[in-house]
Amino acid sequence: MSKFAPSLTVIAISVALLGCNQTQQQDPQVTINKNPYPSTYQALPRNSTLLTNATVLTGTGEKLEQADVLMIDGKIKALGAQLAGELIAGATVVDATDMWITPGIIDVHSHLGVYPSPGADAHNDGNEVTNPNTAEVWAEHSVWPQDPAFNRAREGGVTTLQILPGSANLIGGRGVTLKNTPATTMQAMKFPDAPYGLKMACGENPKGAYGRGQKVAPMTRMGNMAGYRQAFIEATEYKRAWDKYESDYAAGLNPQAPERDLTKDTLKSVLEGEILIHNHCYKAEEMAMMVDLGKEFNYHSGTFHHAIEGYKIADLLAENGNCAAMWPDWWGFKMEANDMIVENVAMVDAVKNSCAVVHSDSSSTIQRLNQETAKIMYSANQHGFELTEEHVISWITSNAAKSLGIADKTGSLEVGKNADVVIWNSNPFSVYAQVNKVFIDGAKVFDRQDDAYRAKSDFMLGQQ
Amino acid sequence: MLAGLLPAIVQADTLAVTNAKIYTSTDQGVLTNASVIIEDGKIIQVNPEVVTADTIIDAKGGILTPGFIGAMNSLGLVEVSQEKMTRDTNDKAADMTFDPSLAFNPKSVAIPFARKGGITRNIVAPGGGETIFSGQTIEVTLTGDWDSVIATEQALFVSLGAKHDGSRIIGMQNLINKLDERQKALTKAKSKKSDKDAAKDPTKEELIINAVLSGDKPLIAYADRGSDILQLIKLKQRFNIDLVLLEAADAITLADEIAKAGIPVVMDALRNLPESFDSLHNSLDNAGKLSKAGVKVVLATPGDAHGNYALRYSAGNAVANGMDYQEAMASITSNVADTFHLDAGRIAVGMPADIVLWSGDPFEYSSHIEKMWIGGEEQSTESRQDVLRDRYMTKSSMPQAYTK
Repeated sequence: MSKFAPSLTVIAISVALLGCNQTQQQDPQVTINKNPYPSTYQALPRNSTLLTNATVLTGTGEKLEQADVLMIDGKIKALGAQLAGELIAGATVVDATDMWITPGIIDVHSHLGVYPSPGADAHNDGNEVTNPNTAEVWAEHSVWPQDPAFNRAREGGVTTLQILPGSANLIGGRGVTLKNTPATTMQAMKFPDAPYGLKMACGENPKGAYGRGQKVAPMTRMGNMAGYRQAFIEATEYKRAWDKYESDYAAGLNPQAPERDLTKDTLKSVLEGEILIHNHCYKAEEMAMMVDLGKEFNYHSGTFHHAIEGYKIADLLAENGNCAAMWPDWWGFKMEANDMIVENVAMVDAVKNSCAVVHSDSSSTIQRLNQETAKIMYSANQHGFELTEEHVISWITSNAAKSLGIADKTGSLEVGKNADVVIWNSNPFSVYAQVNKVFIDGAKVFDRQDDAYRAKSDFMLGQQ
Repeated sequence: MLAGLLPAIVQADTLAVTNAKIYTSTDQGVLTNASVIIEDGKIIQVNPEVVTADTIIDAKGGILTPGFIGAMNSLGLVEVSQEKMTRDTNDKAADMTFDPSLAFNPKSVAIPFARKGGITRNIVAPGGGETIFSGQTIEVTLTGDWDSVIATEQALFVSLGAKHDGSRIIGMQNLINKLDERQKALTKAKSKKSDKDAAKDPTKEELIINAVLSGDKPLIAYADRGSDILQLIKLKQRFNIDLVLLEAADAITLADEIAKAGIPVVMDALRNLPESFDSLHNSLDNAGKLSKAGVKVVLATPGDAHGNYALRYSAGNAVANGMDYQEAMASITSNVADTFHLDAGRIAVGMPADIVLWSGDPFEYSSHIEKMWIGGEEQSTESRQDVLRDRYMTKSSMPQAYTK
């Protein structure tokens, strides 16, 4: 064999090397568009507005008496006593004497739009009960913006809400955070730059929907755990493949991109910390395992929703930085809701570094989250707590914002935050309190005294 | 030992609650700085000039109300709703004779929880079966004692309106036909007294319909849509029955007609969403508007077994949305009694001593029960929920299982 004639083996090797040679041209990099349905939200027409002489609960633990709130360009510009001096020309002044002002109410758990009113078969869009893991579905794709309940919720002071898929599945899909501004598209309600949530569900629902209902896994709570773990094992592999692809590409190689998988895309984003977990989970022992599951796969277990037994593990939740979103008094509808106590939220809240939230999961009580909070505050205070209005308002404002990953934007009345503001005609923890006005990003979106600011859904228009 | 065998000579003790603001739910309205005297489980005096009693409780200006009365719920029939073995509300075979008293469990943990809301008495409704007739309601007190059932076979409950499979027509037709056939039979029996058929014992169902036709037994009809309500108004006029509407979302669209026909409406004050095409007119101000139109309104949490402790807050919300305060008070006390033919619901002489002493406005979240009595017996307001809370509030080096 001539020494000039390269061996077949050598040819094969050089071809192989050439395949990922730095000098070879790279194919265009395959990237995943993480925001394919972007927010088109725009604040409604607004004016600079000064609200004067109210009792203000800031959402940061403060109660200001006879205080003013100034909103300019959709942001909280100032708050405190007698801000008239800072008033800019042409600003609207609202006399809020004898009224109370709070941050806009935030509900971290809603199915408005995906389980809308009226409850028609054709609108039953909240639970993709076709597989225990449907991380590929996004609640935003089910939202009917004309659900009349959005308007009722706004009249109860709700300015921001997370719409979640239902809890039939172990992994139900993505939730979306919306601004409660009337719109004809979901995108126009979508809270800009809010992280996505991922709905997970413990306990009776998934094992009931599959094991009992369809005779497929999961049949049991141990089946539930196996299901989450299998999903995250696969997601971890998927993430590793993409990480390798990206690092090889960055190194100048021309690697083959992994095959796209919508289900694993979502779980990969969880592993990357971009999507926050919202876990329907009632029982102490299950929440503790879900905390460990997060540690096993290196993601944070996020917010526990319903958390009927949160009070039994309040220390654990606080230590691990979990929020818990709870009701005051829903109980008895299933075994995992048997150990309800009205003071649950107060007990979860009482621990240092806690994050207690009051949520609705209801198109009815979303309208009265202030009253839900009142139930807890007064009942707890009757049993040794010393809760104040300025503290408990955080359960439906700033703590809720923290749970949704939007605390830098809303949830409290602080200079620079979005001007999401509610004026109440009296102490919001009274059964008689009503919302007087609601502002979202400084724009008036509801006014009980002015029909021009009372939105009506297309569906209700013309009904007899 | 011997004493126990002798007939007990009981000198009934009298109890007075003095210095109270009394919401009587009667024409007397609200009495301030007033007293009420109880003996043998009954109210024997309301605000006498001189108070004499074996025991006197100074209410210190607190508010005294009649015990609230829950209506058309499944209290005592269900422990955990989704656990079928703990639920006796429904059965395929249920017909109009379906009797909740045969299952009512006074030891349900839902009962002490309901007491926390000042509920002292309750109309338990059956869930029913495959026909429109769900069964009959019963009246219970919330003592938790074995003798809680006060009355059975009280009102006949019929469920009408939208059907997921089929048509609402069949339900309404069944009801009309049932009343029509029985009325004809009764007329016939009257005219032919010696007829063999007339001598035949009527069936239990026939007796029930007879009682509905005579007006002795109320007919509780669940219906939401206006067109159904209209049919029911006609039905009342035709057969002259004691008709009660349940839920009746569209009642507001026929308020004057309902008032004129003297039909009470049992409703959930918090319904304000168009949940279905049958209920497009739900609104928070319906309770107040109906009451202003002259309709006797009963506020309730229909169907529910666990949440009716919150009835007082529903009343508060109705007031916030335009209902007169005294009307709201009546809607959970005297109006319930009148609608379901109960001897209760008022602070008046001769009434059972079901009374509640409140720390403040009973509709407010900030208020709680100071003391409550059912039939003159003082009641506990502690429930399983309190015991659970206290267990987990107690610091211990041992697991909570040892804290009892």
